[in-house]
Amino acid sequence: MSFIKRAVLYCLRQRFKTAILFLTLTVILTFLLTGIAIREAAAGAAAGVKTSLGGKIELELDADGNMGGGVQNQWGTVYGYDGDLITQDVVKAISSVDGVIGFNSEDAAAYYGAGVDFKYLPAAFDLSYTPYGEASSYTATLSSEKCSAFQSGKYKLTDGRHITPDDRRACMISKELAEFNGLSVGDRVKMYSLDSDSVTEFEIVGLFDGAEGMSGNALTVDEIPANCGYIDYATMFELFGDELSGYQQLTVYVDDPTGIQNVYDKIAALPEIRDRTLKLRIDTEEYDGVSSPLKSLQRSVNITVAIISAVGAAILTLLLTFRVRSRKNEIGILLSVGMSRTNIVLQLFAEAMLTAVISFVAAIPLSIFSAEKAGEFMILADLDVKINAENLLPLCLIGFLLIAAAVSVSSWTVVRSSPRDILTKIS
Amino acid sequence: MSVLEARNVSYSYDGKREILKNISVKFETGKTYAILGPSGCGKTTLLSLLGGLDSPTDGQILFNGEDIAKKGLAFHRKNNVAFIFQNYNLIDYMTPAENVALTSKLPPLPILERLGITKEEAKRNVLKLSGGQQQRVAIARALASESRVILADEPTGNLDEDTAEEIAGVLKESAGRMNKCVIIVTHSGELAKRADEVFWLKRGGIYRGEG
Repeated sequence: MSFIKRAVLYCLRQRFKTAILFLTLTVILTFLLTGIAIREAAAGAAAGVKTSLGGKIELELDADGNMGGGVQNQWGTVYGYDGDLITQDVVKAISSVDGVIGFNSEDAAAYYGAGVDFKYLPAAFDLSYTPYGEASSYTATLSSEKCSAFQSGKYKLTDGRHITPDDRRACMISKELAEFNGLSVGDRVKMYSLDSDSVTEFEIVGLFDGAEGMSGNALTVDEIPANCGYIDYATMFELFGDELSGYQQLTVYVDDPTGIQNVYDKIAALPEIRDRTLKLRIDTEEYDGVSSPLKSLQRSVNITVAIISAVGAAILTLLLTFRVRSRKNEIGILLSVGMSRTNIVLQLFAEAMLTAVISFVAAIPLSIFSAEKAGEFMILADLDVKINAENLLPLCLIGFLLIAAAVSVSSWTVVRSSPRDILTKIS
Repeated sequence: MSVLEARNVSYSYDGKREILKNISVKFETGKTYAILGPSGCGKTTLLSLLGGLDSPTDGQILFNGEDIAKKGLAFHRKNNVAFIFQNYNLIDYMTPAENVALTSKLPPLPILERLGITKEEAKRNVLKLSGGQQQRVAIARALASESRVILADEPTGNLDEDTAEEIAGVLKESAGRMNKCVIIVTHSGELAKRADEVFWLKRGGIYRGEG
């Protein structure tokens, strides 16, 4: 009789013992499969974050040693940056590099405008220091969509569109300010700049929300977030051309974060950048900030899976040891009828594997349920814990190794004994 | 020519006191042998050595003139000898038919029926059979194997007198018909009387008894 037939007979006839092994294996496999699924979900989320956040390269002015000799005035010595600038030619050159999908320069409070034909939400003090009342601040940007407030989700576009590098005299204002003045997308507003001493007409291209309810105890209108908006950079150059010859910084976005070094090298080699007093660096701060909790979760789950495997192996070994010891008689009989030790161990292994196959099938729906629950309890948002075919392969491998190790250890003592010793002890 | 032979066999459990001392004995097919002796004289030990359950500390066990250690004790147990134990030693989660099938590729029912186990009984769990029936199954398992030697250790020790008588008859008759060599270790004089040859084991030596 083959060892497989003996194993099948044992599993079918010793139902109580098989049920105990089945339950033990099902619990171990369910924990393992859930752990593997969480680990895969965390890995998937980390990869997703990498793609969704993309890669960023920062281009900045290198002020070190480039602040000139200083100019004496009534206040003392004034130093000013006299190195190379991030000009529109530089931006144009960078935008033509393969892998670059966008860029932005964001200069907060670059423009102060007083409403010529509209009013700001009032603050505690009315400081009418321009002919048109108090001015509020505007962030100059090439692509408002890439600005930090929009990237972080603080602000959301509710109507119209974002400011793009091709815009001229475009602005975005808060929904609250628009409602306060009865303005909407497409309307034109006039603003007076004390700095340029000029009135400029802007088209409202978009409205955003997220700035409501933060007016609190603002003393001046520009302290109320809803009064602050965005304007295009081209208008800034138009208004302050002589003073503003370039961008303060430029953020370059690449399509594939994994190839960011390659894009960096290409940008660094551009004649517009090479040997200039400009600093180029890869910015991974945002990715690191989001991915580190995921990596930490992955590490924790790896440790948990290892602990489950070790504890599972120990419990399984203990259970199988009790089983093998209670079957000394049978092992002695099998040895006395000439079955080899290998043949007997294979029977024990086959019994465990046959039970494991059923446990494996039972563990799948249980793991799906526990994975769903685990997903709900995960602190990190968007962690999609699912059981899929890819999870089953490592489970098979770990399960097989666990059972092989447990059967080997549990059967070692008895199978190594001489058949005479076993049979003598029985009788 | 003898089928099984113990040649100058000695055995000691602790390396000091020899329970078997330089024993030489030969067994032939078609005959039944009884080994008698007081408790602790080494009867079961000799049977274990003949069956390859253990190795002698000195000397050789030969099967068809070849040392059984040459091909391995497991090979000897699987191919050359079959055991019948006092406590039957049947596998408890199997039916009689499955127990017989452990050692034989032949259909188990004919031999079980020949030994008085019905078809219905052959499909029951072995533990649901009486002691006598269980021993019949153990005998059937030994006879069904291709082994030419059957080693029986107190095969009627757990049975009542009538059943023991019956089992002894079945064993001798079946083994004789199948030309097997049967070596029985026993305390029972009645069982020994049925043997073709009787050996006495005493003080480590073996002596041919009067039949």
